[in-house]
Amino acid sequence: MTDSDIEMVVAIVRPDKLSDVKQGLAEVGAPSLTVTDVSGRGSQPSKKGQWRGEEYVVDLHQKVKVECVVADIPAEDVAEAIADAAHTGEPGDGKVFILPVSKAYQVRTGKTGVDAV
Amino acid sequence: MIEGTLAQIDASSAQAIADGVNRVWVLVICFLIFFMQPGFALLEAGQVRAKNVANVLMKNMTDWVFGVLAFFIIGAGFSGIVGQLTTPGTALDIGAAFSHIGDPTAYVGWFFGAVFAMTAATIVSGAVAERMNFAAYVFVAIVMTAIIYPAMPGISWGGTGLLSSNGYLGEAIGAGYLDFAGATVVHMCGGIAGLVGAKMVGPRTGRYDENGNSQPIPGHSMLLAVLGTLILAFGWYGFNVGTQATVLSASDGTLTVMEGALGSVVINTTLGMGAGGVAAMLVSWAWQGKPDPLWTANGLLAGLVAVTGAVPHVTWWGGVLLGLITGALVLPTFRWVVDSLKIDDVCGVFVVHGSSGAIGTILIPVFGATSTGAWTFLGVDQLIMQVVGVLVIGIWTVLATIVTFGIADAIWGLRASEEEEEQGLDVGEHGVSAYPEFTADTSPESPVASADGGEVRTDGGVQDD
Repeated sequence: MTDSDIEMVVAIVRPDKLSDVKQGLAEVGAPSLTVTDVSGRGSQPSKKGQWRGEEYVVDLHQKVKVECVVADIPAEDVAEAIADAAHTGEPGDGKVFILPVSKAYQVRTGKTGVDAV
Repeated sequence: MIEGTLAQIDASSAQAIADGVNRVWVLVICFLIFFMQPGFALLEAGQVRAKNVANVLMKNMTDWVFGVLAFFIIGAGFSGIVGQLTTPGTALDIGAAFSHIGDPTAYVGWFFGAVFAMTAATIVSGAVAERMNFAAYVFVAIVMTAIIYPAMPGISWGGTGLLSSNGYLGEAIGAGYLDFAGATVVHMCGGIAGLVGAKMVGPRTGRYDENGNSQPIPGHSMLLAVLGTLILAFGWYGFNVGTQATVLSASDGTLTVMEGALGSVVINTTLGMGAGGVAAMLVSWAWQGKPDPLWTANGLLAGLVAVTGAVPHVTWWGGVLLGLITGALVLPTFRWVVDSLKIDDVCGVFVVHGSSGAIGTILIPVFGATSTGAWTFLGVDQLIMQVVGVLVIGIWTVLATIVTFGIADAIWGLRASEEEEEQGLDVGEHGVSAYPEFTADTSPESPVASADGGEVRTDGGVQDD
């Protein structure tokens, strides 16, 4: 196997769907993930904020970014598992991207490539 | 059983017991009032952006650390002199005014005054937050605790001074000014000084657009603001209830607990606070469509300020009404200051401490109470005296603050530089960050390795020298 078999699934989802996404990832056999709090703008309409009687526009919505690097499991399965788990049907559900990963190292063991994932 | 025991002690022992109990009480409530300082620090820190938090905290500490020294060496004595000069038949005695400095038995009394002085001073920082030059602020804090505030208790409290029943104005009007714990003497003084200061320093960059319309600059932590409010309210029990400094009085060997006086101040402090919060919450609900925690917190404090001068003088429902009136006015008054006066009073100190203190104190005679708690109008003379007292304190504070900020402007300049304001005063004025991240692994002695031994450039960065 070559390093190019490694792929990263990056998903931006609703924070309250994180628990379902974790469950979905575990079920598809890819339980390892990295989660980051992010803000972003997409199809979700902007919200109004209030400060001392003045309104302001909040168009960057709070989301979580889930990163999941896989080698043995098809990335498409992982992406679909995330999309299914994060789905509500309302604007703002998020996006899932699949990116190639050129190399991988495991910090603890020094393993490289697919073995590192 | 207890009464029988007390009946046997002689008059001097009874006096010593009463003095001891009262001294312990006063010290404890002074510690409570000191605890208003962290309340103010949190309240103000929560209402500013994260980049200015350390600067706000520095200003709050400045009020206390410079303030206690200034009030000990100058302020308390200046207060005494002002009292002497504005009371007919009282000779100027500078030695007596400063006698506390060398007299250990006067220190507790001085401390009791000092915690009030520092409360007045610390109100100002909330109005001028996020853009004022720090050196200029230190000067203002010192003058505030040495001159501007001390004149106010000097003319109002202790039975002497311009507004007291023995002072020039008090004698002329035929009534002494009523402001029990300092709704105007302390809070309105701080609130108006803050408003004048905010006007002179000018609005924060970006607070008004090119058409002069205000733009919101949300603070970074509602949690800190509300927690600070509640800590402030906790300390306020010391402020109001503790001003009833006598809990046990001795007379000819008989000890009496001041049950009614303590009860009046504690009930009006509590109900005024509650009514202020309720009114502000309902007004924000109607005005903005949703009940707002910051307005509710401000209303709670406005209610507290309103009853601070009134607590022993008004009926329980008078305390409720004072809280309702001032709490309801918080939002519209703040909008008036920002939208009509175009003054960027960041934490709303004018409405919370200034106008609420004035309204609550002027209305004392209208909601007056007898010693049994029944309603009574305290008289037209008293009402006139309340208005005159508010005017005197207001005018003095405006003029003295203009002069003080003017001097600070001439020496240091009132504004932090535009770059500092943009970067945040934490880094610009103090070289720190309130919320540092990713800074633990480097120091000047072990800098991050870089090819040329100089600054690390980000990948792809272009060296321009």
